Amino acid sequence: MKCGIKFCGGCNPGYDRRQACEEIKEAFENKELEFLHAVENDPYDCLLVIGGCSNCCASYNQYNVKGNVYKMWNRDHIDKIKEKLSSI
Amino acid sequence: MLMTGAQYIESLRKLKTRVYMFGEQIENWVDHPIIRPSINCVAVTYDLAQDPEYADLMTTKSSLTGETINRFAHLHQSTDDLRKKVKMQRLCGQKTASCFQRCVGMDAFNAVFSTTYETDKKYGTNYHENFKNFLIEVQQNDWIVDGAMTDPKGDRGLAPHAQRDADMFVHIVERREDGIVVRGAKVHQTGSINSHWHIIMPTQAMREEDKDYAVSFACPSDVEGMYMIYGRQSCDTRKLEDGADVDLGNKQFGGQEALVVFDDVFIPNKYVFQAGEYDFAGMMVERFAGYHRQSYGGCKVGVGDVVIGAAALAAEYNGAQKASHIKDKLIEMTHLNETLYCCGIACSAEGWQTEAGNYQIDLLLANVCKQNVTRFPYEIVRLAEDIAGGLMVTMPSEADFKSDKVVGKNGETIGDICNKYFAASPACTTEERMRVLRFLENICLGASAVGYRTESMHGAGSPQAQRIMISRQGNIEGKKALAKAIAGIK
Repeated sequence: MKCGIKFCGGCNPGYDRRQACEEIKEAFENKELEFLHAVENDPYDCLLVIGGCSNCCASYNQYNVKGNVYKMWNRDHIDKIKEKLSSI
Repeated sequence: MLMTGAQYIESLRKLKTRVYMFGEQIENWVDHPIIRPSINCVAVTYDLAQDPEYADLMTTKSSLTGETINRFAHLHQSTDDLRKKVKMQRLCGQKTASCFQRCVGMDAFNAVFSTTYETDKKYGTNYHENFKNFLIEVQQNDWIVDGAMTDPKGDRGLAPHAQRDADMFVHIVERREDGIVVRGAKVHQTGSINSHWHIIMPTQAMREEDKDYAVSFACPSDVEGMYMIYGRQSCDTRKLEDGADVDLGNKQFGGQEALVVFDDVFIPNKYVFQAGEYDFAGMMVERFAGYHRQSYGGCKVGVGDVVIGAAALAAEYNGAQKASHIKDKLIEMTHLNETLYCCGIACSAEGWQTEAGNYQIDLLLANVCKQNVTRFPYEIVRLAEDIAGGLMVTMPSEADFKSDKVVGKNGETIGDICNKYFAASPACTTEERMRVLRFLENICLGASAVGYRTESMHGAGSPQAQRIMISRQGNIEGKKALAKAIAGIK
């Protein structure tokens, strides 16, 4: 299973987005979910959009995503995201 | 093909740009200690575009080729693009605490694109095609382009054609079958030396008698007949001191301005975008100025973010962070900074589509944005200086802090004494305290004040230029009608 990762542009993030991403990835180490920076034309089973604020303005419609798009814009969302990703 | 910052710096070495400073030609200007921080600053716009954490703002798809390009070379296709431009500028300001010099080219691209379309429609010229072909070259090579508008202007009371010296405004001195020859100069050119190419635009609306001054074109920075004289900045020679670091405040990044001279430069027809269509000079100026006034609602906000952060750190290092007046000053600084951002976002959200298809900002709101930028950074640095304390401008040099010269009765060195008497909160080392205070000195009144203060005042037009536009766009008659209706006046 492949999960694409898309960051917003980070103009004024309220938390460390990269660190949050690493925390989520660590939770799925040795599991069958591979995290990759999303690129166009490659297929993904799901997409994780990591925004820096509630605007969460990252563009993601250009990606080929078969399943759900999960969005987060706050450190507090990490557990919820882990939960959702665990359920796929 | 997107370049990395390192590739950009190497690409500059291939140019034969003529640069003069302190009365001498600078052969290796890429590595010159006074110039290099400004080159590093532009390089950040390349490196951020390579980083997935920032690529959503820093890159986009070209409307001309469909390829991924740096957003700084983009024609805005929507109000979302306009907003992302402002966000990108805030990001670049945060990462450099300086003017990163690349927005002026982007603003020129968008202004020239729409103006040439409307010029061709009226006159049957081929400027729009010329410009599109040029922009494709820019996008594919990931070039930096300086958008040059401001002429020396000579006697402000006289029109270009009436000046005692005809070269006070860039003008056409010869029209050939294959192109034009231009003469004159552009002043205050931010990032000109660090640019691969230049786009030249007229500096003001023109009348028929000034038609030779209604000229727009592109040329490489090392074209025959073109040269640049570096503008000096406050405290610039600190950069020449051996091992300079802490005393620079911002060792890695900085801004740059130069006088750019056109000494009878030949421009082939394919790089000409205006050559006498004086009735479109004003449109190009107004559109460029509008975009550039929007830009300041992003870039200066990013720099402001760093200033606020530095002031908060200075308070912490002084042990004063819990004082209510310090907290209140930081709130005020944030309020002022975010107000500028609001203006940048608002004029973007209210953008509109030009006949050529790209998006233009809302002119009234962009001018209000820039008018606020002429004021708020000054208040922000005033509050930063207030929080920092006088040590910002009275502390000894880095060399003193590091000196092992014995001066005390018990063998204390100058360094020991400085470190003893300038220690404050245990939250930081004395050097960390020095660093943040030197950063504030640099941005409040040193080399970076050029970018954060005076550029905020005069860049993209001095305050009165915005007031004229606000007066034109303010719809006072409409407002009077509203008042009459409510008050029952017929």
